[in-house]
Amino acid sequence: MSSPSDREGARNVGGLRTEDIEQAEQMLAERAQETAALGERAAPGVRGRRALVTAAWTAPGAVWLLFFLLAPVLMIVLVSFWTRTVSGFESVWTLENYEFLFQSNVYWNQLWDSFWHSLVIVAAALVLGFPVAYFLAISVTSLRMQIALFIVALAPFWTSYLIRAVAWIPMMGRQGALNTALEDLGLISEPLDILLFSDFAVTVAMLQLYILFMVAPLFFMLAQIDRSSLEAARDLGANSFKTFREVILPQAMPGVVIGSIFVFILTMGEFATVRIIGGGQVASVGTIVQTQVASVQFPQAAASAVFLVVAMFLGVLVLLRFSNLREEL
Amino acid sequence: MAREQTLTHDEGAATAAPSKPPASSGLVLRGLTKRFGEDVLAVDDVDLHIEHGEYVVLLGPSGCGKTTTLRMIGGHEDPTSGEILLDGESLLGLPPDKRPTTTVFQHFALFPHRTVRENVEFGPKMHGVAKDARREKAQEALDMVGLREMADRKPSALSGGQQQRVALARVLVMEPKALLLDEPLGDLDRLLRLRMRVELRALQRQLGLMFIHVTHDQEESLSVGDRIVVMHEGRIEQVADPYTISTKPENVQVASFMGDNNVFHGTITSLEGSRLLLETEHVAISAPAPQDGLEVGASTAVSVRAAAVHVDADAAAPGGRNQLSCSIDVVEYLGDLVKLHVSAGGKRLLAKVAGERYLEFRGREGSTVRLSWKEEDVQPLRP
Repeated sequence: MSSPSDREGARNVGGLRTEDIEQAEQMLAERAQETAALGERAAPGVRGRRALVTAAWTAPGAVWLLFFLLAPVLMIVLVSFWTRTVSGFESVWTLENYEFLFQSNVYWNQLWDSFWHSLVIVAAALVLGFPVAYFLAISVTSLRMQIALFIVALAPFWTSYLIRAVAWIPMMGRQGALNTALEDLGLISEPLDILLFSDFAVTVAMLQLYILFMVAPLFFMLAQIDRSSLEAARDLGANSFKTFREVILPQAMPGVVIGSIFVFILTMGEFATVRIIGGGQVASVGTIVQTQVASVQFPQAAASAVFLVVAMFLGVLVLLRFSNLREEL
Repeated sequence: MAREQTLTHDEGAATAAPSKPPASSGLVLRGLTKRFGEDVLAVDDVDLHIEHGEYVVLLGPSGCGKTTTLRMIGGHEDPTSGEILLDGESLLGLPPDKRPTTTVFQHFALFPHRTVRENVEFGPKMHGVAKDARREKAQEALDMVGLREMADRKPSALSGGQQQRVALARVLVMEPKALLLDEPLGDLDRLLRLRMRVELRALQRQLGLMFIHVTHDQEESLSVGDRIVVMHEGRIEQVADPYTISTKPENVQVASFMGDNNVFHGTITSLEGSRLLLETEHVAISAPAPQDGLEVGASTAVSVRAAAVHVDADAAAPGGRNQLSCSIDVVEYLGDLVKLHVSAGGKRLLAKVAGERYLEFRGREGSTVRLSWKEEDVQPLRP
C-alpha cells in the first residue's frame, strides 16, 4: 500500500473524498441551522420573556454570592484600610495596617510556610489520590461497583470535619492508639512525638481531610475517558506507560487542576485543623488572622486576610495555566 | 451438532478454494475458542481461512461471538484454546501493538484531546518514527481519506462521517497486513452509512488489503463482503459469498437471520431421485433433494426467498404443490419493491414483488391472494 502509484490511485478511486458525503452532511448541518434559526426568529415578546426566565433562574445564586461572598470580601478590604480603636475600628483611612504587615517577618514567614505546606499537600494528594481515582474510574468496570466504591470513598464525609480532626488526638497522641500499638509491637521504645502537635502531623491530617477533594474531580474526569480509546492506543503501539502519558493524563488534566485548586485553597486558609492537631505548637496564616481577631485587632486581621486571599488568587492563576478548562472540560 | 460442525467447515474450505493458495498464506483460525468464566462459551471451535486482499464480513446477532473473534485476532482478547496464524506465524501471545493488524473500534475511539493530525500520527509516534517522517505519513493517510483540510481540528469539531475517516486514516498509516473493523458504520446516520460502506469497499479494493469487518447488518454484509461468515451462538453457521448466503442459506439459523426468507418445517413424504416432497402444516412442497441422506418420515425444513415468491391477485383455487392461498395482512411499499406480509392459517409469510405492482395491492389488506414458487427456488435446510 505504500507505493506512490497506489496512493495516487487511492485518492481517485478509493479516496473517501466523495462530494456526495460532504453534500449529505452539509444538508444535515443546514437543516439543523434552520431549526435553530426558527428558535432565534421567535417574536420579540417571547425573547424578552425568555431573558426574564433566565434572570429569574440566576437570581437566587447571584443574591447568595452577593451577600455571602462579595459583600464580606469588600468589607474585609475596607476594614483593612481603617484605623484600629480599643473596641474595634473606626472608618478613618490609614495604611498603618499594611505598613505593619510589610515590616512583620513573622507574617511573611508564615505566609510562605503555609504556601509551602499547601503545595506539599497538593502534591501528596495528587500522588496518592490519582491511583485511587484511576482504580475507581478505569480498573473497576461495573458501573454499580464503581458507584458503590465511590460512596465508600466518600465515607469520611459522613462525619463532621471537626470530629475527624479531633479524632486524631486519641489516635496519634503520646498515649494514642498508634503509639501504643507500635510500642506493644516493640518497634519503638519511646512514644513518637511527631505524630501529634507537629508540622508533620498537621500536614498528614490535612492530607487525610482534603484528599477526597482531589479524588472526586479526578474520578469524574477519568470516568469520561472512552475505554476503547485506551484499547486503540494499545493497538497503535503504546505500552501502559505511554498510554498513561499520552492519552489518560492529558484527558485527566482538568481534574488535576480543579482538584489542586480545591486542596490548595482549603489548606492554605486552614486554621481549625492547625489549632487542633498542632495544639498551639504550629501556626498558619489562618491562625494568625484568628489570633488577631481574638485580640480585637480587626483592621490588622483584615489586612492579613487580604494578603492571604491575594496569595491564594496567585496560586490559582498559576494552577490554571496547566489546563485550558474552558476548552477541555 | 458434531456433524453440522464438520459440514460447515467443509463449506468454508470449499469456498476458499478457487485458486488454492498455499496453506501458510493469509490468516488462519484453527479451533479458536473463548470462554468467559465457566458458563459462557463466547466463541466455540471456529475454523476459518482468510486470504490477503479478501474482504470478509463476520455477521450475526449481538452475542454471537463475532466481536470476540475479531478481538482475539487483534490481540485484545486471549483465546481459551485454538490457534491464530498469519502467513504461517502464530499471533498468540503477541500484544496488539506487536501484531501486523490494526483495529477500527466501534465508536471510532479517537483521542479527543489531540487534533486530527496528532490522532493519525499517534501510531507512528509510538513506534518511534521521527517527527518529519510521521508527519508525512499522516499527511498521506489524510489525503487518502480526503481530510487534509481538517488536519488541525479536534475530533469533536468533525461530523460523524469525518470522524470515521480519521479513524480509518489512523490505522491505514500503520500499513497493517489486516484491517479489523468492529461495527465501523454503527455510529453513523443511515444515509451516511449507505455511502460509507461503498467507500469502504472501494478503499479495500484499491489497497488490496485484508479487511475483516464485524456487523449485525445483513444488507451491509452483502454490500461489502467478498465472503460472509454467519455466526450464531459462538459457532460458524455458514461461510459463503454474498450471493450464496442470500439465495442458498444452509440452515434455519442462517435463513431466519438473513431475513426475508420463508422457513417451512415439515415431514418428508417421498424422495424421488433428485426431488424431495415435504408435507408441512400449511402446504405441500417439492424441492431439489440435497446430496446427503435424508429419509422418508424424517422432519426437515426448507426456505423460500420472499423475492422468489409469485403473487397472483386472483386467488383461483390452489391445489398443487408449492402454492397456497393467503390473506394480506400488511402492504408495505418501499419504492422499488413492495413487501406483502401475508398469512395462511396462522403461518406468517413474506413476498416481495416489484414496486410497480403497488397499485394492484394498495388498500387490499384482508383480501386473499395466491402464493406460489418454483421448485428450484426451494432451499432445503439443515435443522
